[in-house]
Amino acid sequence: MNENVKRRDFFKNSLRATLALGLGGIATFAMRKLSSRNTVWQIDPEKCVQCEQCSTRCVLDLSAVKAVHAHDMCGHCDLCGGYHRPDAKAQDTAAENQLCPTRAIKRTFVEDPYFSYTIIEEKCIACAKCVKGCAAFGNSSLYLQVRHDRCLNCNECAIAKACPAAAFRRVPSDQPYLLKSKQAATWHAKM
Amino acid sequence: MQIKRDNHITGISAAVSSLVAGCLFYWWISFDPTTDFKTWGPGLDNRPPESELLAAKKAAAEVVKIGEFGEQFSGHPSLLSASWPRFRGAEADNISKEKVRLANNWGAQGPQKLWSVPLGEGHAGAAVANGRVYVLDYDEEQKADALRCFSLDDGVEIWRRWYRVHVKRNHGYSRTIPAVTDKFVVSIGPRCHVMCVDAISGDFLWGIDLEKDFATEVPFWYTGQCPLIDDGVAVIAPGGKALMIGIDCASGEILWQTPNPNGWKMSHSSIMRVVLFGKAMYIYCAKGGIFAVSAEKGEQGKLLWQSTLWNVSVSAPAPIVLADGQIYVAGGYGAGAALLKVNLLNGEYTVERLLKYKPDAGMATEQQTPLLYKNHFFTIQPKDAGVLRKQLVCYSADDITKPVWSSGVANRFGLGPYLIADGKIFVLADDGVLTMLELSTQKYKQLDQARIIPDGTDAWGPMALVAGRLLLRDSHQLVCLDVAAK
Repeated sequence: MNENVKRRDFFKNSLRATLALGLGGIATFAMRKLSSRNTVWQIDPEKCVQCEQCSTRCVLDLSAVKAVHAHDMCGHCDLCGGYHRPDAKAQDTAAENQLCPTRAIKRTFVEDPYFSYTIIEEKCIACAKCVKGCAAFGNSSLYLQVRHDRCLNCNECAIAKACPAAAFRRVPSDQPYLLKSKQAATWHAKM
Repeated sequence: MQIKRDNHITGISAAVSSLVAGCLFYWWISFDPTTDFKTWGPGLDNRPPESELLAAKKAAAEVVKIGEFGEQFSGHPSLLSASWPRFRGAEADNISKEKVRLANNWGAQGPQKLWSVPLGEGHAGAAVANGRVYVLDYDEEQKADALRCFSLDDGVEIWRRWYRVHVKRNHGYSRTIPAVTDKFVVSIGPRCHVMCVDAISGDFLWGIDLEKDFATEVPFWYTGQCPLIDDGVAVIAPGGKALMIGIDCASGEILWQTPNPNGWKMSHSSIMRVVLFGKAMYIYCAKGGIFAVSAEKGEQGKLLWQSTLWNVSVSAPAPIVLADGQIYVAGGYGAGAALLKVNLLNGEYTVERLLKYKPDAGMATEQQTPLLYKNHFFTIQPKDAGVLRKQLVCYSADDITKPVWSSGVANRFGLGPYLIADGKIFVLADDGVLTMLELSTQKYKQLDQARIIPDGTDAWGPMALVAGRLLLRDSHQLVCLDVAAK
């Protein structure tokens, strides 16, 4: 009899332990999910090598990565390395003189000889041609960022996996962008 | 009867089918799939028409009285007599010929800083003569070009000759190095104002507004051309009405001018005086092409040859003449570089292009003019030169497509200047870090490195070296270092 009771207690205890473990597991899983929600993917602009993979590797049809512009760093030049082809025949808005394949940069006259350059996000495909041109000839004021109104925050980001420069990393979701500034640009110029 | 009806129905069906097919064909043939297309042409940036811009410029035109103001200060010239009289030194090769021994290392403190002076934002380097340091500065408060003369001993200002001219900040203001002789200093301001003053007293002698007098188009980011004085004659390439002009420094009289029928424009490059096929000539890379003008007495200003085989939108480096009439030229913004060859046959010059390549396919440079020493080039590759970007590189002049050595990924310098002295190369990085290395055609061997300007930015102005004193600048200050051996 005692042996039967003990066996019953044993099963009861085993069941309790299993339930406790299960609940613990679920809680841990939930915590992990919660903690992963607290970070998001972002591109470190100082590491980005403008390889163009952001344009094609994202699981979305149109990449969640977009070019952004630090206007305070921009030289507002008439001849813009991020806007014009290196062999542009004229510094104007003609398609044949533009670097962007989708005309996603709007050039606006400010005052002679300055122009402002604004990214039209809906058109940007994250090919990074403007970023490359700006890095080569300008102040590196154009750079890529993951836009979180589009990003699905996949556990395994397809772009991060393909990024040859390890420029993708997780950042706190309350600080989801790695923005450039003049100070950062000075640092970048030293690299 | 039945057959007739069937034939009738068949006929009607065929007619209807034909009609539908015809309508479809008409719709298909008349459909224009490009009706939604928008022309993406010039003028979508709201840039006013050129005529309007010119009218606005005229309306806002200020009367610039070149050399209007002069000030004297407490500085005294140094007794050191060595000179660095113009862009790239006396022989325009950026190689110091002085016998002064320079230190092989600087120790933990770096080279001794003798003095420094704050300057207006820009990249104008210094020229030195008779113990005086000359810099064409821009005074941001007065809105004025200011030719400033400092003592080489302590950096105290001796005199200043200036004139008001409104210049909008565009990657800084100043760019050019004055040309100095014992008697004269000639400068070109950001907006193409040429000024000649007495080198000792700073007294104004004459001035020319190239934009007004020669219809010069002020280049992007302002004038980069450094003036040349050859035997008392200031030689300038204005573009516009003249390819090149020669001005008597003493009187300001324009002695000769070379016509410019093709309307070539001023670039950021500077005139090089060279001897080719036994004839002295001035070579200049204009926006439009490259050309040479005779520097021989009696035929100064005569156009000897010109070519459009090198025509790039932004050209800052000066042309370098090699053996056998070969000329190395380079440009920025992806232009790369080229090797031209001038031939002389029966008194006629012809120009051919031996090589042309993008910056990642050979020796290139964006701003500085490469060093040529013992048949080897030294330069810093531009930012669009692939793996060699911003690295100091050495190429044999026999093959400018394969580097002999490069400084490596850990040693990148940017757009900064470099020169040769006492068997060493001095390289200033964008951020004000000075590197000294052994002058070697075998390998990159660093001797020492020191941060000269804390938080330095855009240290692009060419350096000058006199009597063991190295003058360098970043965008905001001029520094004089003692780099002589103790």
